[in-house]
Amino acid sequence: MVTFAFLDWLWLILYILLMVGCGALFYRLGKRSQSDFFLAGRGLPWWLPASSVYATHTATDTPIWVAGVVYKYGLSGLWYAFFAAWCAISAFVSTRIFRRSLAYSQAEWQSLRFSGLGAEMLRGWVAGWQVFMNMFILGWVGIAMGKLCNMLFGWDLWIGLVIFTSIGAIYVLMAGYWGVVMADFQQGVIALLVIIIVSIWGVMAAGGPQTIIDKLKTYNSTCEWRVPADTQDGAQGLLRISDSGTSEVLGASALPFTFSNAFDEARYVETADGVKKYVQNTHESETNSLILFPSDADVLYTGRDYTIVWKASEGKRLVNVEYSTDNGATWIMIDENHQNGQRWRINPLSFTGSFKGQFPVAWFVTMLFIALLGGFGMGTNIDWYTEAQRIQSAKSVRDASYSIWAGTALVLVRNSIWAAAILGFFILFPHLASSAEYEMGWYVVGFKYLPIGMVGFLFAGILAIHLSTVSTHINLGAMYATRDFYHHYVNPKASENRLVVVGRLSTFIILIGSFIFGTIIGEEITQWLIFALWIMAAGIWLPNILQVIWWRFNSWGYLSSWIANLGLSWLVVWILPRFGIIPELPDYMQFWLLIVLNALIYLPVTFLTKPEDMDHLVSYYVMSRPIGFWGPVRREAIKQGLL
Amino acid sequence: MGFIRREWTAKEADEWRKEDWFAIILSASSYVLLTIGSALSFLLLPVGFVILGIGIIITILMYWIIDPKLKTISTEYEKKQKEYLLQLEEIQKWEVEK
Repeated sequence: MVTFAFLDWLWLILYILLMVGCGALFYRLGKRSQSDFFLAGRGLPWWLPASSVYATHTATDTPIWVAGVVYKYGLSGLWYAFFAAWCAISAFVSTRIFRRSLAYSQAEWQSLRFSGLGAEMLRGWVAGWQVFMNMFILGWVGIAMGKLCNMLFGWDLWIGLVIFTSIGAIYVLMAGYWGVVMADFQQGVIALLVIIIVSIWGVMAAGGPQTIIDKLKTYNSTCEWRVPADTQDGAQGLLRISDSGTSEVLGASALPFTFSNAFDEARYVETADGVKKYVQNTHESETNSLILFPSDADVLYTGRDYTIVWKASEGKRLVNVEYSTDNGATWIMIDENHQNGQRWRINPLSFTGSFKGQFPVAWFVTMLFIALLGGFGMGTNIDWYTEAQRIQSAKSVRDASYSIWAGTALVLVRNSIWAAAILGFFILFPHLASSAEYEMGWYVVGFKYLPIGMVGFLFAGILAIHLSTVSTHINLGAMYATRDFYHHYVNPKASENRLVVVGRLSTFIILIGSFIFGTIIGEEITQWLIFALWIMAAGIWLPNILQVIWWRFNSWGYLSSWIANLGLSWLVVWILPRFGIIPELPDYMQFWLLIVLNALIYLPVTFLTKPEDMDHLVSYYVMSRPIGFWGPVRREAIKQGLL
Repeated sequence: MGFIRREWTAKEADEWRKEDWFAIILSASSYVLLTIGSALSFLLLPVGFVILGIGIIITILMYWIIDPKLKTISTEYEKKQKEYLLQLEEIQKWEVEK
């Protein structure tokens, strides 16, 4: 719990007034037309949507995610957050094509690119999915805010969820996307300032940059381990460390430690805290054993997380960590190709082999492939749908390109600033074995080390981070509901005034829907929905590119890829491994397998059905000028005298 | 005319040319370098400043190559945008027309 001083409250109240004032200020602009309410009249200079890209993709759960991967993987963890780099290519390819199409949303683009019944079905599907997704994301980030308020002030979860999401809704209801983008600019500036200040504080709290680097060179080796829940109560355990390349055993437990399933929280916490000194090297001279924790005096509780600690052997970069419960007769792998010592944490390219370990080259190559080449398509990344709105709100093709490029560059640099602070956090707390603890690292640095009077500034920054995300998703969800459902299917003759009223009503309904989602989101539902996101990303990754670059790819091929992917991903991720037909594959291998299997379905469907109507394709081509394989359409456009 | 073209007609700028591919490659490289360079610079490592500096130079080079083409595309497209918006509204009302 934190206590706010007068200055803290002042920061917070001033900030909330500024945000709500934004809505009032742009109220008149927002109500002019549908285009103003959802795209700020398509007249924004590049830096406004750029700041919105940056602010929207800085949510309350983003520092939790970045802290988690950087604490676990060192600076290599930055690559887990590098998927945003699809914008490197998108800024100059799919952004340009999409901006030229003038479609309000990705759902609308489907009816420009494809024609007939297939296009209508795709538009309805994408719009429905996006209304649901925006409500879900709002619920997700809303409940994250609820949890933070619970941690800071002891409030019930729903209070933080409802109050702070509603503040965002006020200015979205009043001014639509004008309110979102203007507030995003201020929020982006405030959030960046807070991130820099807190991160500098974090680095300094750890003793400064040089101290962090020096300590990483001297700290002992660590490896996270969740003791298997089915380990026999009272069993005796041994650990051993061996060279990954030669299998030479470098050292093993001299005496066994004990497993127990009679959990004692006080003793567990005491043991976990005691591990800190072993990592920090202060007790190295007290034992001749290579393994510092666990030792014979320790009891390890089954199903719990621990940090194994051993001395960093010179000249050994990769080691295998194993345990035995039968006095060394058989050994079970805990981690293969684990990095020795801690200095690897400052190397962003500290690979653990071609296919093995926590950071294999194969994973890195797959990540670069997905992240960068995805920029040729539309919808290859879940963030595309929010960027699409920013792209259309820019005043020209050039402004759209620069807004996407610059906003994402700032996102990547922000991740790097966080990463430096999290290395500082690791120096201070190197013993944390539970992700739930170290994922809160950046927030802990802020609330623990900032001076009084600045805590309110930090909270205002967190609020900025939260509001920028929720306001975007409220407005975006309302756009799909209004433009792609109401205007397209219910009332195509609706006046501009009517559409703005429906836009506001949709905003309100999405807000209420997000509260319901937020209060029911539990661990299990979240896991299922993360799986749903994974489904979206893997099997339809290539079709999302093909729809942009290949004229012959038709609506039935694209639709079949969505449907096939739904079934195939279940098979590959869960069902086939469960029956032992295929092994449990790492995520990057699942990606490649789904790419191939899905293509075996949508390619035949594409070739067995007719191409899109040529006049429709010519019209789209002349307007959007897509990249790739559009030869027959181009020739037809020339023949018709349109090029 | 040099290897990198910096003056475009509207028709030429609409085509995908080598300048677009240079921009794509430089853009991806600069993202990688800015990410690594920023993290290492924040830790005051000299190699970080070098990487960050290269990243910034590549970004400027990317801008220098692609900006004239983007400007021409934008200027030309804005002239046609009004007509395209009307066309878009027709497609939007597809159901009514039927």
